[in-house]
Amino acid sequence: MLWFLQIALRQLFQPGKRFPAFAIVSILGVALGVAALLVVQTVMNGFGEEHRLRIRESFGDCVVLTRTTITNPAELVKKLRKDDEVLNAAAFTEGPALSRHGQFSGVAFVRGIDLTVKEQPARPYIAAGSFDDLDDGRVILGYGLAKTLRVNIGDKIELWSPAMAELAEKGQAPLPAELEVCGIVRTGFTEVDDRAAIIPIRRFRELWAMGSQAHGITLRFKNPNDAPAIAARLNVGSPEMHFVPWQEIKKNFLEAIRFEKTMLFFLMFIITLVASFSIGSTLFSAVIRRTREVGVLVSMGARRWQIVALFGIQGLMIGLLGTLLGFALTGSILAARENILTIINKIFGDGDMVANVYQFSKVPLHYDSSDFIVAAGFTLLVTTLAGLVPAIWAASRKPSEAMRHV
Amino acid sequence: MSKVLLEAKDLKKSFSTAAGSLDVLRSINLTVNEGESVSIRGLSGSGKTTLLQLLGGLEAPDAGEVLIDLKSQGLVSPHLHLGHGVGFVFQNFQLMPELNTLENVMLAAKILGTPDAEFKARTLIESVGLGSRLNHYPSQLSGGECQRVAIARALINDPTIVLADEPTGNLDEATGQQIINLLLGIVAKKQMALILVTHSREFAERTQRQLLLTKGVLSPG
Ligand SMILES: Nc1ncnc2c1ncn2[C@@H]1O[C@H](COP(=O)(O)OP(=O)(O)OP(=O)(O)O)[C@@H](O)[C@H]1O
Ligand SMILES: [Mg+2]
Repeated sequence: MLWFLQIALRQLFQPGKRFPAFAIVSILGVALGVAALLVVQTVMNGFGEEHRLRIRESFGDCVVLTRTTITNPAELVKKLRKDDEVLNAAAFTEGPALSRHGQFSGVAFVRGIDLTVKEQPARPYIAAGSFDDLDDGRVILGYGLAKTLRVNIGDKIELWSPAMAELAEKGQAPLPAELEVCGIVRTGFTEVDDRAAIIPIRRFRELWAMGSQAHGITLRFKNPNDAPAIAARLNVGSPEMHFVPWQEIKKNFLEAIRFEKTMLFFLMFIITLVASFSIGSTLFSAVIRRTREVGVLVSMGARRWQIVALFGIQGLMIGLLGTLLGFALTGSILAARENILTIINKIFGDGDMVANVYQFSKVPLHYDSSDFIVAAGFTLLVTTLAGLVPAIWAASRKPSEAMRHV
Repeated sequence: MSKVLLEAKDLKKSFSTAAGSLDVLRSINLTVNEGESVSIRGLSGSGKTTLLQLLGGLEAPDAGEVLIDLKSQGLVSPHLHLGHGVGFVFQNFQLMPELNTLENVMLAAKILGTPDAEFKARTLIESVGLGSRLNHYPSQLSGGECQRVAIARALINDPTIVLADEPTGNLDEATGQQIINLLLGIVAKKQMALILVTHSREFAERTQRQLLLTKGVLSPG
């Protein structure tokens, strides 16, 4: 073994000492910093992923819009379904209407959907009733709208479309559509939950008197993460159409999540920095304590770089072991996250925040290897520097003066 | 007529202190032949340690030069070759506390990449009488035993000269006697030169030549 490596290891884990306090405390400090960083990042990723999934499932992977209505949606849907990357395509219609239940009324953003396509936006977020019960006499409402109208499953609401107003203008007496509520969805996006009313597209066309036209098409992709590229490709040759991938639909929201994650990274990284500074100062005092030994090593022919390595390795070792321990700590903290959350909820009596605010069943997680690489890289860099600075200082001393050191 | 091993020509060294310049060494001229043992005595603060540091290359002189014949390849300035040809023994042993006896002795060989480090170290430790203390750490050894380890360490690279700075200074009289016996015995056997700094007239008289350092100059004593 290289002599300076041997001495570095011995100085860290001194023989005969059962408890190498300096090494253990330093390593724990780094490990806690790394774990704090990674726990936060992984949970942030989890929330991010959950939100992304929610966006896709609430709005579709991609929405195709045109400047006017789509006059022949069936043909376009057929064409899009033939594309290799498209799992499914479905035409939809949408528009505002007045909804009423007794003395309560509200503006509903009505969406007509193709009942032959099972995977519809918002379908996974059915909170009551059933998506499959939807037919020409029924409607699925957003959670907020149902609350405004004071309705529950089985209640009937009236829907007044703009087409009915036109009829009234022409002097005819229109009748509102009477629909039974068969489901309530809750996506977590207020713009959906507070206004959505979902009915079959056939019924929508009837109520809006719009023939076989559609307002847009929702797409499902095999690989939703590639949505922007696929959307751009599909858009080629059809400049009158606008393919909007899900990443664009809620762009601000996604950017806010990403920004939060970056901010938290820097905040948490400060913890690692603090840990590294304490390593730096402990290592510094260790180096000063060993000034005479440095002089002796030099008198025996040790090179400057070997002295630097002797102490630099100790910083690196602490960083390395601390990082690995930090990884293990991250895994265990996250594995026990539900228990930890239960304890926190018990202490602060806040009830289940995750379920109430985010409507997630558990704290979401998403391990991202790049977080671990970045955390390890930064930590190793900082701890090695923290060891290198005193090491270079020690190596630059004259051996004669070093040996006079008391 | 034996060959000149070490030659110091008109060495000067002064330290600047708050009270002004302190001329510790004014003009040192010294020649040591191969295998010769020399002792240097002097009052405390007269500059003995400083002189050994200049001779061993740990410190550069303000003026003058030190020439050591390294492996008979001509005269070479020593501080380019720290550790080569010169073995140091210090008053306070200066062992690495984290290494045991064997490792401390091997360290000097490992630093210079000397082959057969372990075999040489074991033989030397045996010859200084510490064969049963191979795995002891310095904290588990007595002062005399530590100095024996330090002597073994100074010898492992087969130096042509050993510079010993008060090697008995921290030891009781009887132990000091043993250490001097050991040092002089090994050096004579291996035909190495020795410069022994000591306060003891008795120990000094056991070397072939005695010198006195006073007022920055060496004189026969
Ligand atoms: N780095 C330095 N800066 C200033 N003065 C120094 C320095 N090193 C040594 N001195 C001074 O040089 C003088 C000689 O010191 P040195 O250690 O060589 O004496 P010494 O003869 O070995 O004494 P002792 O017998 O007590 O070991 C002392 O007065 C000391 O104060
Ligand atoms: Mg001295």
